[in-house]
Amino acid sequence: MKQLSFKRFTIYFDQYLFISITLLSVMGLFFLYSASQGDVNVVIKQAVFVGFGLCLMFALSQPDPDIYKILSLVFLIISLLLVVITILFAKEINGAKRWLDLGVFTLQPSELVKIALPLYLASYLFEKPIPIDLKNTFKSIAIIATCFLLIAKQPDLGTSLVVSMAGIYILFFAGLSWKFIGSSFLIFIISLPFLWNNFLQPFQQQRIQTLLDPGADPYGSGWNITQSKIAIGSGGISGKGYTDGSQSHLDFLPETETDFIFAVIAEEFGFIGICVLLSIYFFILLRCLYLAFNARDRFCRLTIGGLSLIFASTLFINLAMVTGLIPVVGMPLPLISKGGSSLLSFYIAFGIIISMASHKKLMQR
Amino acid sequence: MIDIEDRFIEKRIFKSRLILIYLFFGFLFSLLVYRTYSLQVYSFSSYELASIENKTKTVLVQPTRGIIYDRNGNILINNVPSYDLIIQPSQITDIQAYLDRLGSIISISNRDREYVYEQFPIKSSYNRELTVKRGLSNEEIARFEVRNYLFPEAIIDERYSRESQYPDLFSHVLGYVGGIQNDRLENVLSSQNKRLGETAFKYANGYLVGKTGIESIYDNELRGTFGEKVYEVDARGKFLKQIDLIDPIKGKDLVTSLDLNAQKIAYEAMKGRRGAVVVVEIESGSIITYLSSPSFSINEISNGISNSNFQKLVDDKNKPFFDRASQGRYSPASTIKPAIGLYGLENKIIDWDFKIQDPGYFILPEDQRVYRGWKDGGHGEINLESAIIESSNTFFFSLAYESEIDDLIQHLASFGFGKNVCLDCFNPDKGLLPSPEWKMNNLNFGWFKGDSVNMGVGQGYLSATPIQLAFYGAFLSNKGSLEKLSILDIYSNKELLELPSNNISEEDWNRLHDSMIGVIESPKGTAKRLKNLKPYTIAAKSGTVELVSLDSKEDYELVRQDINKRDHAIMVAFGPMPNPKYAVSVVIENAESGGSVAGPVAVKVLNSLIDK
Repeated sequence: MKQLSFKRFTIYFDQYLFISITLLSVMGLFFLYSASQGDVNVVIKQAVFVGFGLCLMFALSQPDPDIYKILSLVFLIISLLLVVITILFAKEINGAKRWLDLGVFTLQPSELVKIALPLYLASYLFEKPIPIDLKNTFKSIAIIATCFLLIAKQPDLGTSLVVSMAGIYILFFAGLSWKFIGSSFLIFIISLPFLWNNFLQPFQQQRIQTLLDPGADPYGSGWNITQSKIAIGSGGISGKGYTDGSQSHLDFLPETETDFIFAVIAEEFGFIGICVLLSIYFFILLRCLYLAFNARDRFCRLTIGGLSLIFASTLFINLAMVTGLIPVVGMPLPLISKGGSSLLSFYIAFGIIISMASHKKLMQR
Repeated sequence: MIDIEDRFIEKRIFKSRLILIYLFFGFLFSLLVYRTYSLQVYSFSSYELASIENKTKTVLVQPTRGIIYDRNGNILINNVPSYDLIIQPSQITDIQAYLDRLGSIISISNRDREYVYEQFPIKSSYNRELTVKRGLSNEEIARFEVRNYLFPEAIIDERYSRESQYPDLFSHVLGYVGGIQNDRLENVLSSQNKRLGETAFKYANGYLVGKTGIESIYDNELRGTFGEKVYEVDARGKFLKQIDLIDPIKGKDLVTSLDLNAQKIAYEAMKGRRGAVVVVEIESGSIITYLSSPSFSINEISNGISNSNFQKLVDDKNKPFFDRASQGRYSPASTIKPAIGLYGLENKIIDWDFKIQDPGYFILPEDQRVYRGWKDGGHGEINLESAIIESSNTFFFSLAYESEIDDLIQHLASFGFGKNVCLDCFNPDKGLLPSPEWKMNNLNFGWFKGDSVNMGVGQGYLSATPIQLAFYGAFLSNKGSLEKLSILDIYSNKELLELPSNNISEEDWNRLHDSMIGVIESPKGTAKRLKNLKPYTIAAKSGTVELVSLDSKEDYELVRQDINKRDHAIMVAFGPMPNPKYAVSVVIENAESGGSVAGPVAVKVLNSLIDK
């Protein structure tokens, strides 16, 4: 982290995060070219997003964290309003209303909630006693539940779960009692059958069943995961070579540009390529851990911890899905998968993280 | 102070919990890395295989079947390429409407329609292709190809039909081909290290396999080896490009010992009558002529015949499918007499000077039963020679009466009776050489002396196929030894049948041959009518198979009102004498006289061979 002081103003940024994120983004463009069967238009569009995203990240690193603290409530309310607008007015695509058409760009407001919620909770808990008491716990949970239900209504179970996780990470850092965690977990386990029967759509139930036995219907529901595993496995140690992956280039692999891009990378660059890729991710995460430890106040700590864990969770869910460890849920590979909102949301998140890590206060609270 | 302590506690909680959760994620990610490792490194080979299987599709290329030739290089069965309109019935629901649509582009005859309607449910259930129309013209092909997107369930493809220029001549000996059951196809393919799964609809379903005759016996040789085309395919199964090609290996051509011309003569001489003609080349034991009559068109059966036409053939009372040459059982009747005579010589019951008085009948001493000859009043004083020439029953009744039945059976077995004498005939029957054990087991009666007496003139339980009779003729001409017969001259060590004749001399054989020449050449011979039909001499023995046992000529006149109860005519002959090259057997059902009806057929066929 650096504060480059010039005559009239100071630039705040973190070279480690900045370089590694830029590296990942550029590698992503490179992978996307292969995954899109050499579609230059797709790559150019993504490059524009990446460029814009990097600028946005840089811009968002500049304000003082206190500004985020002040604006966090407004940010959350606007995000939720956008979700409501989406539910009310957006066009239905594949049975879900998730996207707002802004002309140049379709926005997925739930991606914003993913950042706004932990930010707000961190600022809410800033003044509250720590460890968090029961009253504030329930208040926070009520906020989380509101976000969860709104997004689940779109419906978008994947994102709503990540959003709730984001909130829960903050509560956890705020010292949520182990008793509370244990009993909630117990209640969750007990109510699993109830949730299965009442909350999960048939297609979601099927995805879980498919995970347990992908061979049962290899050409139907098991197709994606079967082909993904073949793509990854057949990459071997050193891969089949850039743009030479037969699984991705002969259409066996689904969603190569988005959710399953990891399988394309694994097929073409093998285990060695995957290790390199994962090292960059791990470096980013460890850098976030370091920054969180050295953050200037509680608000910054909680926010950096929460946002970096959203990044980690998204990464884990995507990888676990593509390698067939968990059911298929729509979850992109952060900073690499094609897609506007989720990509931008991570640049926003890292912009905020850098801002919080690089602004120091002389008088610590 | 409280404030600072608070902050301290808060920071401690935060740090420990953040580390805890990072450790948790660390654990999750190491799981992921392990998972990726196990997919990419540990199970690499199986996934690599799966990815290759994914992107390649092997389709088998069908080999063309071998051609079948006669001994002179005439093509008997060939493959005729034609472009056929083929549909995939399992993909079509309303065949009538479908044919109407197809019919607007390529005219489909009512006969073809009928065939398609009939075969549709069958082919559909087996997921087989169905040929709608054969031999399309270039114009028809062009008309279809520009519209083929309208008919994804139909293709035009090159098919080889199995065709003979002489479809009715060799029906039984060469046999026909037909479609193949999945499990058999699987066997065929696995013997060539191929899998059924690799057969695309387009290629394998037109595969033909021998069903009868030489087509079936030598199917392994004729079928050839499948080739392979390996394509790169995408996930939709679309063929992108051909990666590899292994050419199919054409089936082996077979040169048979059959003679087209002789077969033709035999076919014409039989005039569609029920019966069989078999000619054997004595020196090699090869079968030259093999005709079962009436016959059927192998072209029709091989290339798709409608059920109703097929049923007509099955129901035909003349049974054209029945292979009379190697499956028809006929009593050898008087043609057995030379063998019985040899038995008498071998066991010194008679010699050439031995004479008896033939009153026209034989009375069995045990029960006074009368066994009649064919000539009222008998043949007078006769010896072995005249008994053969004039076909005296009484002589052979009394000779058989003197025989030891077990010895006699063993003796007849050396002539091939009761045995399969053909190495590559399709489902040959062994005929029946009865024995006391056989009679007890099958008829629950002991052996009577009368059974032996009947056997002396080739009647009763003894029966043989025309193939066996031809073998018998060749065996006699070759003086008591002969290798088993075959249609393909590919056997290096053919099994030899031999008469253990310690007491039969060369002189005996010559005299026997002379007697058989006398059957035609002597004025008293039973086949003397044949004398002037040929420019050389042949040895022969005629036979007339009584289907109903009767006591008088008058009774027979009544019986013969029913054509199916009339006697069968048999002729066994070989020639030209004195150095015979060919032996022939002719059986004509219900033709009554061996000498005058079966005889001319035998002579015509021999003429066609010996003239050359």
